[in-house]
Amino acid sequence: MSTSNSGFLAGAADIGRRLLRDRAALLGFALILLLVLAALFAPWLATHPTDVYEIHTARRLTPPGAEHWLGTDRMGADIYSRLLFGARITILIAVIAVGTAVLIGVPIGLVAGYYRNWFSDLLMRLSDIFLAVPQIVLAIAIAQTLGPSIENVILALSATYWPFWARLVYAETRSVKNETFVEAAIALGASAPRVMLLHILPNIASAIIVRTSIGMGATILTAAALGFLGLGAPPPTPEWGRTIAESREYLPEAWWYALAPGIAIFLVVMGFNLLGDGLRDILDPRIRRGGREP
Amino acid sequence: MKRLELILSRLLWLVPTLIGLGVITFLISHVIPTDPVAILAGENATAEQIAALRRELGFDRPLPVQLLAYFQDLLRGDMGVSLFSQQPIAEELATRLPATLELTFAAVLLASAIGIPLGVVSALRRNSAIDHALRVVTVSGLAIPSFWLAIQLQYLFAMKVGIAPLNGRIDGFGPEPLTGMMILDSLLQADWESLGGALRHIALPAITLALPAAATIARFTRAGVLEVVTSNYVLYECAMGLPGALVTWKYVLRNALISTVTQIGLIFGVLLSGAVVVEAVFDWPGLGAFAVISIIQSDHRAVMGFTLWAGAIFVIVNLIVDVLHTLIDPRSTR
Amino acid sequence: MMPISRRPLLGLAAAAAATAAMPREAQAANRFVYANNSNFDTLDPHVVFDTARVAVRLNFYDGLYRWVDNPPKLIPWLAESHEVSADGLEWVFKLRRDVKFHDGSLMTADDVVYSIERILALNLGAAPLFRPLLEPGATTAADPHTVRFRLKEPSAIFGSLVPDITVVNAKLVKRNERDGDWGRAWLARNVAGTGSFRLRRYDPAVGFIAQRFPDHFAGWGPKYLDEIEFRTVLETNTRVLGMIRGDYHGTDGYMTPDQIDRFRASDTVQILEQESMRVFHFCIHNDRAPMNDIHFRKALVHAFDYDGFINDVLKGSVVRNPTIIPNNMWGAPPGIEGYKFDLELAKAELAKVKAPLRPITIGTLAGFSETEQAASVFQANLRKIGIEARIESAPWPTVSSRMRNKDQQYDMVPYWKSTYYADPNNWLGELYGSRYLGGGNVSYYSNPEVDKRIERALVSTDQEERQRLNEEAARLVFDDAAGVWIYNTKWFGPYSKRIAGIRFCPVGSGQDMRWAHFA
Repeated sequence: MSTSNSGFLAGAADIGRRLLRDRAALLGFALILLLVLAALFAPWLATHPTDVYEIHTARRLTPPGAEHWLGTDRMGADIYSRLLFGARITILIAVIAVGTAVLIGVPIGLVAGYYRNWFSDLLMRLSDIFLAVPQIVLAIAIAQTLGPSIENVILALSATYWPFWARLVYAETRSVKNETFVEAAIALGASAPRVMLLHILPNIASAIIVRTSIGMGATILTAAALGFLGLGAPPPTPEWGRTIAESREYLPEAWWYALAPGIAIFLVVMGFNLLGDGLRDILDPRIRRGGREP
Repeated sequence: MKRLELILSRLLWLVPTLIGLGVITFLISHVIPTDPVAILAGENATAEQIAALRRELGFDRPLPVQLLAYFQDLLRGDMGVSLFSQQPIAEELATRLPATLELTFAAVLLASAIGIPLGVVSALRRNSAIDHALRVVTVSGLAIPSFWLAIQLQYLFAMKVGIAPLNGRIDGFGPEPLTGMMILDSLLQADWESLGGALRHIALPAITLALPAAATIARFTRAGVLEVVTSNYVLYECAMGLPGALVTWKYVLRNALISTVTQIGLIFGVLLSGAVVVEAVFDWPGLGAFAVISIIQSDHRAVMGFTLWAGAIFVIVNLIVDVLHTLIDPRSTR
Repeated sequence: MMPISRRPLLGLAAAAAATAAMPREAQAANRFVYANNSNFDTLDPHVVFDTARVAVRLNFYDGLYRWVDNPPKLIPWLAESHEVSADGLEWVFKLRRDVKFHDGSLMTADDVVYSIERILALNLGAAPLFRPLLEPGATTAADPHTVRFRLKEPSAIFGSLVPDITVVNAKLVKRNERDGDWGRAWLARNVAGTGSFRLRRYDPAVGFIAQRFPDHFAGWGPKYLDEIEFRTVLETNTRVLGMIRGDYHGTDGYMTPDQIDRFRASDTVQILEQESMRVFHFCIHNDRAPMNDIHFRKALVHAFDYDGFINDVLKGSVVRNPTIIPNNMWGAPPGIEGYKFDLELAKAELAKVKAPLRPITIGTLAGFSETEQAASVFQANLRKIGIEARIESAPWPTVSSRMRNKDQQYDMVPYWKSTYYADPNNWLGELYGSRYLGGGNVSYYSNPEVDKRIERALVSTDQEERQRLNEEAARLVFDDAAGVWIYNTKWFGPYSKRIAGIRFCPVGSGQDMRWAHFA
């Protein structure tokens, strides 16, 4: 942990190599890659790329077959094609929401952990208050306030997620701050921003990266839940959670309707969790899996 | 001394947390474009009528004034009344608590029954095929969208096989409410028919909630057991010739379960503040479902009452978990 | 936690008493279970006025007159008859003498006076219908069995409104008033009526169970239901599957054709089919650019695929309704064909629009998939003529409160205009009359020519004139393309095959249970 910033980049290559050896993490990485590819090449991979908007009332609720691999939905749209386009929304929401939460939470945690005064106390108390409400409830309230749309889901998720990062970074910063190399840097007269950015941040980066991967999974789950409750993207957006909600009226006859979107969410979240697990093993030896042999 | 200090400072901390929570939810709930007065007044209401009603309810006053009035009432122990049912919020929450409590107990029990043995086995056979398989299972458990799982369970067990009901707590009203928890009530009144009904109804929502919880519990149990197993005093006990099984249960588990207990406590807290989505899917008449309806109808007082409840539960559960920690593991008193 | 920890003791004592009196609550063999799609968060008949919770008003309470059958007709109920003075201002109702409340006391004119005063004072529920006509204190008891209403202005529709004066037991409610609240807190949880059923159990999160009231003044036929239970089941699919499995004996009759097909395929459910009075339309915000341009609105009405929607999505289960007034209501203008789906025509109209085009927002009702499907169909076709439409889905309370605010109202909202009282004014006047701006007129439409006719129709006592006025006004609104009117709903009431005697009326949506019985 006490490697300074100089060794950090060199360590990245090593991390990559060790990740390749962890089969579970590799699987996670592959799942995420699949998601990204699906999103990028959705228009080409889709068998019915225009079905996101077009309506084919004549072929509503067709079971899976040669023409529609995963069947069709209540508007006669191809579920497989919509699934691919839905991947874009999933990535969009997860990346922006987690990104924003990190951008808000990390500086707050850093500053609060570095200076130990009334202001840092106040910041932490504030994040504790946010943490005390169930995230989904707060997100529902915000999404309800602003109206259902992708943008507002992102807003609601970042607004409720930053305290996690603030808490995490705060704790890490406080433990790193007492390390010799930080104390040395301060003694040598380095400015506070410099110490935070160049000495502390690189050393807590591993914790942030691990949490980001797992956080992406959690955020995708919450976003899908909001979509499921009707507070996410409006129709005809091919958002996965909303598709599952739509499908409920057609069970048990249209068993295929909810199947694919649910499995898609599951696989993607699992991908992020596996990757996060693998990264944790490599980056954070304190809780390394396997442990020391007796 | 230190322990007492910790408890006291945490209890004191409850007050500013709840005030902060109140302010935040107040602000959020009052900028909602949904106009509760218009909803209350109904589809045929006139503009004058809505305005009059707004005045009567005090919704025309500036926000800070309304906020102050709310906290004044709160200090007197008055959480206000629901805009729609006209019942005190405290009572509304109290009538829904037993349903949530019952589901929480069921889910946590189930999750522990699955999670703890899995975690122990996984740790004792680490890096074996079982360990790897269980790892996949636990990671999957955390990745399944609960609302989807709920629907698939409904599909399989309620629609296809037909052994479980689709939704609700019981057919009809169930036994006379004593505690409000139907399983307990039917046991107390020896009403076996209701007991069967209640159990069949709670099965699917409890499984839905228990699965991810079991995964979390298994992971922490595994980590805890590993730490203890690899520590020196277990080696010592083994060297002393105590039988393996005894060592496992007597020493390892007790010490290893600290982190597991923590997790169970936290899960309990999370579920007690209402499993919003799962309660919604199964029409489970608990706090989570109440929160969603209140938010949608912009029943400010109800939303705030619920949020304060959830916040208080969160702080208290964390406090209890911390105290338990210091009891089981004196080292952790900092 | 306090309330809970106290409860067991109190509860146990109560249960002990109850068990002594009643060995075991026998599940009544004759209990009718209805799966309701909405919460019964209150039982107060004067507070809510929606179709979702109409069961409370119909089964626990009675009005002066009552709507029955289809097309709806008024029959004398608590009142035996009424007379109207020549100037149309004084309405005198003769009450029956044999009406008993559930507590056994006799109903008198004082109860009616208290009830209407309560409606006006609470200013909720049906109050908006009465407040323009009645001042507080304008209703008097001439004698114990005669009630006199003195109206502010002559009204042709007052007679259609009296079924909504649901009468509560004044003495009982007064005894339970708290701080002058007109017994609101108490009546939310209790029933003080004369209705066909009396409350046995109620849980706002679950629903209610009610028992037949044998002493009801209207008497009972040879067959009847002993108990009715209204249970909240929010999820459509759960209601459908529960019906098919036989867990429920009845549920709401306005489901999508997909669901109706499933009912028809089952051998436990019968479908009672009736043409209702519930017009599905896109309400247009007429007072905002570019919708304030008649050419834009004409482009809109020609861009909806009426046949495709009705025949494919709705599988031909409904009939086209060219104007806002239901076809089967008097006052619906005869011989109007309805706008045709014609994208070329729409484009031509759009070319005449001067204001700059912009994306328009359609607010749909979350959980009512038909509104989303209609919006999606519309969106796809609007795109073809170059209009971008955004769909915003929100729960009905949100949509409805936004509609009521001129600035927050969406550009268009697809929804059903239901029957609150069977008079053309319920649809035409409330949606397009200037007097209802800021109230029910959520289309923000205002046209002096239309107003003139609506106003006259509200006071005229000449039925023929009223019909002509409504027809003319509806035609003017039609020519202005002030809304996209699509169809009149059919009511497909799903009931268990074991149930008979359901008496459907568009006002009560088949939830008036006193006529029903097990076959």
